[in-house]
Amino acid sequence: MTLTDERKPSEEEAANPELERGAERREAWRGFLHAVPAYAYLIVFFVLPLVIVFVFSFASRGRTGRPLLEDWNVDGWARLTDPLVRTIVGRSLLVAVMNTVFCLVIGYAFAYWIATRRKQSTRTLLLILVLIPFWSNFLVRTYAWRMLLDSDGYITQLGEFTGLWGRTLFTLPAVFLGLLYGYLPFMVLPLYAAIERIDWSLVEAGRDLYASGVKAFLRITLPLSRPGIIAGSILVFVPSLGAYVTPDILGGAKTTLLGNFIVTQFGAARNWPFGSALSGAILIVMLLATILYFRTGGRTV
Amino acid sequence: MTASTAAVGIHGVTKRFGEDVVAVDDIDLEIQDGEFFSLLGPSGCGKTTTLRMIAGLEYPTAGSIRIFGEEMGLRPPNKRPINTVFQSYALFPHMNVEDNIGFGLRMQKVEKAEVSSRVGEAIDLVRLTGLNSRRPGELSGGQQQRVALARALVNRPKVLLLDEPLGALDLKLRQTMQLELKDIQSNVGITFVYVTHDQEEALTMSDRIGVMNHGQLVQVGRSEDIYEFPSNMFVAGFVGEMSFLPGEVVETGSVRLAGGEVVRARTDSSPGTSITLILRPEKLHLYGEVSEVPPGRNVLNGSVSRRTFYGNSLSYEVELGASGSFDVQVENVPSQTRWDVGDKVVIDFHHEAASALAE
Repeated sequence: MTLTDERKPSEEEAANPELERGAERREAWRGFLHAVPAYAYLIVFFVLPLVIVFVFSFASRGRTGRPLLEDWNVDGWARLTDPLVRTIVGRSLLVAVMNTVFCLVIGYAFAYWIATRRKQSTRTLLLILVLIPFWSNFLVRTYAWRMLLDSDGYITQLGEFTGLWGRTLFTLPAVFLGLLYGYLPFMVLPLYAAIERIDWSLVEAGRDLYASGVKAFLRITLPLSRPGIIAGSILVFVPSLGAYVTPDILGGAKTTLLGNFIVTQFGAARNWPFGSALSGAILIVMLLATILYFRTGGRTV
Repeated sequence: MTASTAAVGIHGVTKRFGEDVVAVDDIDLEIQDGEFFSLLGPSGCGKTTTLRMIAGLEYPTAGSIRIFGEEMGLRPPNKRPINTVFQSYALFPHMNVEDNIGFGLRMQKVEKAEVSSRVGEAIDLVRLTGLNSRRPGELSGGQQQRVALARALVNRPKVLLLDEPLGALDLKLRQTMQLELKDIQSNVGITFVYVTHDQEEALTMSDRIGVMNHGQLVQVGRSEDIYEFPSNMFVAGFVGEMSFLPGEVVETGSVRLAGGEVVRARTDSSPGTSITLILRPEKLHLYGEVSEVPPGRNVLNGSVSRRTFYGNSLSYEVELGASGSFDVQVENVPSQTRWDVGDKVVIDFHHEAASALAE
């Protein structure tokens, strides 16, 4: 290796790579320190409880229904094939899908309308209006719906006056109304962000290239809002599938959804292993569905 | 060519935005079939708004726009036989090159086989062969520009509108594209209406130019006429380099400068009128002595107050005392004397090179 020996690197040259690596290491360490509080919180209050739930799904029940951490079994998981479970899962899926579709259609129209207002101040005002409901408690707002939908509620009175509907409280339509109300903002916000970002000269170019207004929307605006559609759909679908408060307050016994069914297992039914298995199963299915969704449709422009 | 067959006929067109913004102020213009016509003007002069009204992206507040004699009225852009190359190209980011170019044909429900053959031809025309399946984001600025051009041309529009299409490119590429655009235009024979704020670009490419300012069309003419005979102060200042000297008309063809010197120049105002004498820097010559000046020329005495080196030329600012100052551009060739700041010089110019513009 005479060549390298002959040309001795100067001190600076030799020191540089080492300095650079050191700086990178310190940078990485600093980055990690920033994340420590969040990691710690999530591990203690999110990951750990999930692990506990997972463990309990294999536990057995005592005579009084008390969960016992012995006689490990898969009874809880086996019950997932129960016809009752299938009915409830089917109903919950239907509710979640329908709610996502309702939110998407109504939310898109609204987000589009906001995003196309000329003045920035008008857009900001409309967005604040979307967020105002969050200033009061969700439970309180859901109870307000209960009053509206009950026998002497305004909505029921309107229905009876027009002869179109009666008392909707404790029926599936009531649950739909409540869910739509609750989750619409989660659809509007990401859609607005996506639509607002669209370069309108693209739509003009479409019109210039012989596309009618409808065609230009379908071929240009809609595909370009895809990131917002995907984000909004996930934000609405996932919590809709596990919704508890709305179906509990506005739905009746005939409209039990997954969330309520799980709560029952931990409460009245005193069947922790089954409830845990249900929770775990939903989590796994959601996780897989979300990954798949992002893989197939998440590629943004 | 009679007026009724003008490719684009703009008659009394005004465009207002809101109450008090007048973007385009009562313009009349006829652009002939096969012409390369440029709308030239500073930003905010209404040239883009005019183009957008021809495209149907804006509707005039008043007036009429005709395409080959056909009234456009409130016809939407998709029903006009016109295509546009947008300033930012406006390529669809979610479609590849082929789908971008074929978009217009697909919207017109042209048969699939014909779409692909015409798209292929267009791709070859703008020399993008082999890039068919690239997305716009994977192309350089120049390539994106070509896609935008092909996407418009493939529809064989009766008129092609171009809104500062070269604005985003760097100088060298812009110059290449200018020539290429001009070639494509003469090959396809389509009427081009080209919007630009770059006077050099307009002069290089256009058959005729319409200069706009404050929403008004201030002069329309062949490129050379616009440059040689600007009809008003705005055009004189906006197109090319120009020096201005205040003065008044003595008699036809004769002008007195503020310092008292009388020179011969082109005039069309009556004696006594206050005018501004306009001179192109490249049409002036500098000498050391009056005796060197060819006979029959205008002669003025002055001194060099600034020298700027441009590479292929040098520019001298020459002080005339009370009459003002102006620029003289001299080619950077060995036979030319180099002057320094403070040198006494004699300026010579042909009387055809100086025009007197009324205020």
